[in-house]
Amino acid sequence: MSETLELVRETPLLQLSMQQAINRALGEILEHDDRALIFGEDVGVLGGVFRVTDGLQQRFGANRVFDTPLAESGILGTAIGLAMAGFHPIPEVQFDGFAYPAVNQIITQLARMNYRSRGRLPMPVTLRVPSFGGIRAPEHHGESLESLFAHVPGLKVVSPSNPQQAYHLLKHAASMPDPVIFMEPKARYWNKAAVDLADDQDSISLEGSVIARPGKHATLVAWGAMVSRCLQVAELAAEDGIELEVLDLRWLKPIDEAGLAASVSRTRRAIVVHEGPHTAGLGAEVAALVSQSCFDTLRAPVERVTGFDVPYPSGDLEDEYIPNIDRILFGVQRVLEYRRG
Amino acid sequence: MAEISFPLPDLGEGLLEATVLEWLVKVGDQVERNQPFVEVETTKSSVELPSPIAGIVLTLHGEPGDVVLVDRPLITFAVADDSAGIVGTVPQEAAPKRRVRLSVVLDED
Repeated sequence: MSETLELVRETPLLQLSMQQAINRALGEILEHDDRALIFGEDVGVLGGVFRVTDGLQQRFGANRVFDTPLAESGILGTAIGLAMAGFHPIPEVQFDGFAYPAVNQIITQLARMNYRSRGRLPMPVTLRVPSFGGIRAPEHHGESLESLFAHVPGLKVVSPSNPQQAYHLLKHAASMPDPVIFMEPKARYWNKAAVDLADDQDSISLEGSVIARPGKHATLVAWGAMVSRCLQVAELAAEDGIELEVLDLRWLKPIDEAGLAASVSRTRRAIVVHEGPHTAGLGAEVAALVSQSCFDTLRAPVERVTGFDVPYPSGDLEDEYIPNIDRILFGVQRVLEYRRG
Repeated sequence: MAEISFPLPDLGEGLLEATVLEWLVKVGDQVERNQPFVEVETTKSSVELPSPIAGIVLTLHGEPGDVVLVDRPLITFAVADDSAGIVGTVPQEAAPKRRVRLSVVLDED
């Protein structure tokens, strides 16, 4: 950003945590769209277990921001009915692992109502799900459901990696006519970063992936909380003379095939990093797409550094489960030293 | 800082009120999650209530001997904006540590 542009900037850069950025985005959505509604467990009076909906019920009233019973199937069923009646629901499922009781509603109704009704009943529902691990929480509070949702036709899936993206991607998701699963990386809720609130479409990309750090020797593909970890890895790899590119995938359905191909075509090597279990994780899809688009230029098979094929462990074992810096560096080492034949 | 109030929960099946026996914390105290903060007596039993959140006590809604009603405020906390949610902890940002060093001969073709 040049100095002249800085001077004419109308909206300031704010230092916000992701929870504050999402709170702000939700407030603006409610302000500008009188059909938008927020509901879920503890989102009203309490302001959300992570303070994400703090103050919204006071500002907009209990008709627009309201608490629901502990019944995720009911939360989604309510969202679907409200969407059929012309509302723009933004329900919350309090934790990833609580989404399972709602999966029937999501798959059999939410994802296909538009298709089933030949477009007469679009489902402009943005489902916020605090997701992934990293906060030492008990069972059902650290799971990665992206490959489950990405597999369902009719759903879009997105995960922001920082406050700036969370703010803009949430507003973008809420403006879409399709159901969007908005996966908030709860381990990143508290980290503050500069947020540019300007809605200038030219400077803020909302679609596809973004290069979080350019590099030339290999591409680390990640999303959610793993982006910041991959940025740490890239910083450490630079000490060893290796320049890693970090591609923040952001949209997990649809995946930005062109952006992925463009990055890996340049670096010729790819390592995909995710928290979810290895088998049939989204890394497999990324690896397949890269193999297809970059087969001729790839210098090594795509490496996957992931969680393990076990239930998400208790807090004490979390650091052994989530890909850590050393495991990612091992993955980088493997693709860099691979030689054909 | 955010202020968070918690109401007296229904401690039995359809109980409407309870009597404050003893506050186990005082205004200004830092309370940890799950720390007992009050002992109340209902028509069925006396129980200690655990705090659902970590925070600093701002207000105790009632004196020992007072009757408090279910769903009415019992205690109010001041909670730091960067405090954990009701579940889990705030991840600590530590300097990145590594044991693995990269050692490769890069071919420049």
